[in-house]
Amino acid sequence: MTNFVPTLGALTGLPWGPALLGPSRLHHGVAWVTVVAAVLACGPAGLRWLRVAQREHYLAGSASRFASRWWRVTPANGALAAVMVVALGLSVWWPLAGVVAAAAVAAGPIGLTLKGRTSPLAWTRRLRTLALVWAALEVVVVAAGVVLGPAAPVAVLAAVAVPVLVDLACLVTSPVERRLGTRFVDEASTRLARVHPTVVAVTGSYGKTSTKGHIAHLVRPTRTVVATPASFNNRAGLARAVNEHLADDTEVFVAEMGTYGPGEIAELCGWCPPDIAVITAIGPVHLERFGSEDRIVEAKSEILVAAHDVVLQVDDPRLAAVADRAAAQGKRVLRCSAVDRLADVCVERSADDASVSVYLDGTVVSGDVTVPTGTQPTNLACAIAVALVLGVPPGRVGQRLADLPSVDHRLQAARSGSGVAILDDTYNSNPAGAAEALEALRLEAPHPIDPAAAGSPRSRPRRAVVTPGMVELGSRQFAENRAFGSAIAAAADHLVVVGRTNRRALLAGVAAATPSLDVIRVNHRDQAVTWVREHLGPGDAVLYENDLPDHYP
Amino acid sequence: MPDVAVIFGGPSPEHDVSVLTGLQAARGLAGAPGPTIRALFWSKTGEWFDVDPTLEAEAFMEGVPKGAARLQLMATPDGGFAEPGGRLGKTRTLDIEAALVCCHGGPGEDGTLQAALDLAGIRYSGPTVYGAALGMDKLAFGAVVSSAGLPTLPRVLLTAQGDPPPFDGPYIVKPRFGGSSIGIDVVEDAATARARLEANPHLRLGAVVEPYRPDLTDLQVAVRSWPELRLSAIERPIRASGGADILDYRDKYVAGEGMAGATRELPAQIPPELEKELRHAAETVAGLTGLRGVARIDFLSDGRQFVVNEVNTIPGSLARYLWVEPAVPLVTLLHDLLEEARRRPTHAYSASGADGTVLRSAGSIAGKLG
Repeated sequence: MTNFVPTLGALTGLPWGPALLGPSRLHHGVAWVTVVAAVLACGPAGLRWLRVAQREHYLAGSASRFASRWWRVTPANGALAAVMVVALGLSVWWPLAGVVAAAAVAAGPIGLTLKGRTSPLAWTRRLRTLALVWAALEVVVVAAGVVLGPAAPVAVLAAVAVPVLVDLACLVTSPVERRLGTRFVDEASTRLARVHPTVVAVTGSYGKTSTKGHIAHLVRPTRTVVATPASFNNRAGLARAVNEHLADDTEVFVAEMGTYGPGEIAELCGWCPPDIAVITAIGPVHLERFGSEDRIVEAKSEILVAAHDVVLQVDDPRLAAVADRAAAQGKRVLRCSAVDRLADVCVERSADDASVSVYLDGTVVSGDVTVPTGTQPTNLACAIAVALVLGVPPGRVGQRLADLPSVDHRLQAARSGSGVAILDDTYNSNPAGAAEALEALRLEAPHPIDPAAAGSPRSRPRRAVVTPGMVELGSRQFAENRAFGSAIAAAADHLVVVGRTNRRALLAGVAAATPSLDVIRVNHRDQAVTWVREHLGPGDAVLYENDLPDHYP
Repeated sequence: MPDVAVIFGGPSPEHDVSVLTGLQAARGLAGAPGPTIRALFWSKTGEWFDVDPTLEAEAFMEGVPKGAARLQLMATPDGGFAEPGGRLGKTRTLDIEAALVCCHGGPGEDGTLQAALDLAGIRYSGPTVYGAALGMDKLAFGAVVSSAGLPTLPRVLLTAQGDPPPFDGPYIVKPRFGGSSIGIDVVEDAATARARLEANPHLRLGAVVEPYRPDLTDLQVAVRSWPELRLSAIERPIRASGGADILDYRDKYVAGEGMAGATRELPAQIPPELEKELRHAAETVAGLTGLRGVARIDFLSDGRQFVVNEVNTIPGSLARYLWVEPAVPLVTLLHDLLEEARRRPTHAYSASGADGTVLRSAGSIAGKLG
């Protein structure tokens, strides 16, 4: 290494490379100190951003996106980021300043932990590959700085840019990962051909998992049915579901198909062609990856191409249009609704929300069936339509409706030991679901019509909402969360804002609303739970709307 | 030193319960000194994997657990469980001296797995091919028990066209082959029973029908064959309250950690004469089914009389919770099962008599066809 220092000295003539300027050996020493500090800082930074990349399904760009979010989220992080950038700039002239930048890289952003509390880093084969490629990229950048100069600022830049290099590593490894995944897809394709089940494919911006569960429940006693587990809805997940769950006697395979972008569902349908295709709903979910809702409709419609039977929720006019097009192509179309009794399947909620009635072609077949809170009538209507296409007799469908299980963390109602009604809607959140959840909260803790009759305002049941807000809404994220904040102000007495991801938007919504409410700010859900325990009592109700893993600010 | 294998999972409706039994057994064996324990997981789609024996049930919730290594089961005399994909495509066969079979229902309990293990030369615990197959066939089992003079309910094959059952409804319809109470239905009349044949996927391979007797309750006893025939205490499982017509899958397994968490009366409070008769009947059934390992025999009783209902040749949790009087520790139960696996053969293939005489005198094959 000592041989290297004079070589570097020879490079001092480079115009923007004065870091190693000057004849003194001290300067060379300082440059090396900075390079070493920068490389050391890459350790913790790498762990942080590799974890974010893993949580975000290795999609290139997510580490940088989260980095820009994290570095701006609190004044402290903003200040730290400013120090980091200024020190990086200064290191061009004073290499030692780079040590400060490296320290900032190692320490921040504050709040994003190294190992993760809710979702720790898992050293899977894929992550190890990614880490190796990322480390190689870091070495290349640092070595380039050392060879071409200036060593110190380039090394510091490499440390500051860890999220960018992690993204680059995701980009580089993705074709290789795809090819590795192909083996499992081929295996799955062979297995599907051998078992040859009727494939029901379910997609939609939301309601996929609930609808899948409803279908499995309604069909189970009549046909052997296998549904993809919880969130196995991408290429790798679907292949794994087929390879590990599709037992030989499976007659019906219910596959959930998710999409982060155009063409993805078409690819899934290429090797797992659906016989029956279902679209549950369209909404602004993953909008940041699609651009517009029209493109979401287009991407979801890829599921219909191969199917001969199509089940669509037509309360959304865009899906009603899709239904008409599919019918014109000669497909059998079942239109499902929560409002139009003349639809092929209509599931209508009773006025008091406690039960549903099922109409087939305008005729009631099951009246006033009690279903779990949080059951979406349109999801249920789609599931009933699928069951009917699969040959489950309508009478049998009615019997099964009576013991429909609730879906985990989808507006699940419970009561705490202290008598607080709890609504758990933490699976995920979207504008339609959040509005629904607030309505359920109102019903859970009804306020007397005449406030005077209830005595002091303290004695009436209180309603609290605990939420980090909604995410993945692209350019609409702020507006949607602001609107949600206003809606909460109209529906509840307390709002506990978890984390900082949507805090500003939610508070803006609260401020814009006329009935103001008590706002509590906490950093983690645990703190929110503690607040609920301490402040709510018998008769009160709390809605937990959405939960974000801790790689969100 | 060769390893001991615990085999669980399998393409069966009772896959999940088997995972629980297997993990309990692996944990029980690991707690005592002895050979290395290998947990061999049989997936729902029939693939084999070597997994960490200290895993929790949760690790199997989504399918094959992380870190599982794929295996092949080779059914040849020098075969067994092998790890494929070494260098130059070589496979390495695991050195297994005995296997503890913890599979419930489906091919793990009906003789299929047992046949594969016989062919692969692996010594295993539990029923032989013949015992497993008889235990899984409710029609054959009922007939064997009845012909030995033990009391049974009338049990006939349910067919779409043939004669209606020679007894009155309501009926209980059961899959002819099937290890647990999955797929069981109570129906009012013969027409509905026949309709179930079409509608119930669990009845595709055949169904049996019996008179439905809600007045009878379950009584169960475990029997084990090594070092000698022993009977457990008699248990009366308590049905979940509510409208459940029969002790169903949920009551049995989902409520708690295997059967060990279910509610029960143990030992059951029954008249001494009934207990004596039940014990005698259990011994007879053990003999009739060629008992090997631990089995659970289920009776139905009105408190005075009884009928033999069915046998579970690889019961959930290996029926460990029934051994209370006198108490048998889990590890003793497991070691006895393994000792029997090592010492008591499951098959004796013989080729004596096939000495070539027939071949010599056979002449040409073409001649035989002509």
